[in-house]
Amino acid sequence: MSYPASSDLLWEITRNNSSFLVKRKTGSGVRLSRDPLNLRNVHSRKHAGAINNQAIGIVPSGKGGISLLTKKKGTGATISQSYKPSKTSRKAYVQIANSTTKKGYRADLREDAISRASALIRSYRKSVKPTKESKPRGSKAKASAASAASADL
Amino acid sequence: MTTVKHVPIVKKHKKRFNRHQSDRFKCVDASWRKPKGIDNRVRRRFKGQAAMPKIGYGSNKKTRHMTPSGHKAFLVHNVNDVDLLLMHNHTFAAEISHAVSSRKRIEIVAKAKALGVKVTNPKGRVTTDV
Repeated sequence: MSYPASSDLLWEITRNNSSFLVKRKTGSGVRLSRDPLNLRNVHSRKHAGAINNQAIGIVPSGKGGISLLTKKKGTGATISQSYKPSKTSRKAYVQIANSTTKKGYRADLREDAISRASALIRSYRKSVKPTKESKPRGSKAKASAASAASADL
Repeated sequence: MTTVKHVPIVKKHKKRFNRHQSDRFKCVDASWRKPKGIDNRVRRRFKGQAAMPKIGYGSNKKTRHMTPSGHKAFLVHNVNDVDLLLMHNHTFAAEISHAVSSRKRIEIVAKAKALGVKVTNPKGRVTTDV
């Protein structure tokens, strides 16, 4: 094909069958997307990065950093900026907004981009809360109490 | 891992609907079959008879498929599937597929914990001390 197909046509082609699409029959038949240029992993026209002319992606970039992906005309997804891990994550959010929304690049995705960046940065942190050890209940509690009593003897 | 606030989950009929006379004959299975007979008292909804399933027993659309925690289950087969739930950890919980080995289950559970995704069956295939 010598000319680029329109986004609308591409969406009609890919909306029911695509390598990014993940369908599940459980949980009200949800449809998610593996597209790196999809900020919310939702399979929808707005969020489908592969078919839109402009799209934003936030992906992990090793060692606790994140990368901002954007699309340039004709080249597909390119890493436009990467952010190293730092104590303050707010700088990264400001930079993401400045390099996309402020320049009129997919202003509708600003909130999603920042919330994804935030979620990724949070996932790198070591969890503060240790997982609670579950208390046995019912017959298991009785059994453990009995075994503890016999151990004392 | 907490869920979004939602209307309370109401189950209108918690008991199973058993097939008419499945309690009387062992050759009649309990799986629901609608009685079709001309004289059938269950079909004619006589007093004291078993209730028949009908659309009115359906759950509220907003709480359908919801677990008591308020999540919906999303089947995951590998670590990459857990990544899909990064932005949905308030609405979906990961459910590890039955054929996944215990070694990979550990990876999946660790990834889910990092992303703040609830796992409905984290103890599956965990070896208990013998």
